[in-house]
Amino acid sequence: MKSRFFSALALGALLIAAPAAAQQSGHIVAQGASTAKTGTTASASPAPAADSSRRYDSQALRFESRWGSADIKRGTDGVAVGTVGWFRGIDVERLVAPSPRAVAEARSFKTDNFRGSLASAAGAMTLITGIVVTSNSSNNAASPVLIILGVGGIAWGAQHLQLGYSALSRAFWWYNRELSR
Amino acid sequence: MSRTVLWMLAASALAASPTSMSAQSTYDSNALRLDSKFGDVRIVRGVEGPVVGKIGVFRGSDVAKIVETSPRAVTEAQEFQRNYRPGTIIFGLGLVSLGVTTGISQIHDVNRGITSGLMLATFGLLTYGGGRLERAYNALSRSIWWYNRDLSQ
Repeated sequence: MKSRFFSALALGALLIAAPAAAQQSGHIVAQGASTAKTGTTASASPAPAADSSRRYDSQALRFESRWGSADIKRGTDGVAVGTVGWFRGIDVERLVAPSPRAVAEARSFKTDNFRGSLASAAGAMTLITGIVVTSNSSNNAASPVLIILGVGGIAWGAQHLQLGYSALSRAFWWYNRELSR
Repeated sequence: MSRTVLWMLAASALAASPTSMSAQSTYDSNALRLDSKFGDVRIVRGVEGPVVGKIGVFRGSDVAKIVETSPRAVTEAQEFQRNYRPGTIIFGLGLVSLGVTTGISQIHDVNRGITSGLMLATFGLLTYGGGRLERAYNALSRSIWWYNRDLSQ
């Protein structure tokens, strides 16, 4: 009888203590992540504060476009954390650093965004040159070639920009996956 | 005593499946994201999941139905649907107008006022259509964000 009573007590204690321990380790991981992200030393802050640094509501990322560039927004309030676009952008890899899969996708975004920006800009310049040459009514054989090359460059660049934004979407998907709800 | 150890093992096995694990598996299999290829925007579910919606040229997918489990996501999806179709039509008209303007500008004896008016109209159509499209895609982004947020709740 005594041993059964002890067993029941032990079971009860375990059921209460185990999730608490799991939660505690979660806080430690979250604290580590936030320390890595901000580069500051974690103080002995209360648990809820540390937890909120990994909460979906306050930390989950998304992007919204704005005339050729995209604003990266965080949380329910949509606080802007940076802008990415033609030949510019914040360090997305650093932004999603807590998730290795997100970092890989962010790297892919960086590559495609640069290629896309370069090709579409070069294509646009070639196209404009071709149009100017044509509109000057000069019988220059190079003008159709310039127009075709320009359109091709823009299309190739647009394709890479699109691939880049798909990678950015995947990066945020992976980053948001690691956040608690 | 051995029974106590067994009890403790069973209890720890039960406790070892925290809610975050199930939440994560829900996210892995259900969370939505946008994927675009060759001008085609698709809504994809999960890590390697199926395409649940395609955004066509003049017709957006029924996004509100895809995200119906989250009320906030539905509101944003409705905003997307309100802006997408007019946006594509007006932007398309702008492109047609651009073609017409370019063609007319090649004719020598055309009144410059006509060309200038057409250029202004083209600019207006492209800007307004582009703005509506941008509003639509931003609403789609927010809709998916809210849907993924509410997955484990």
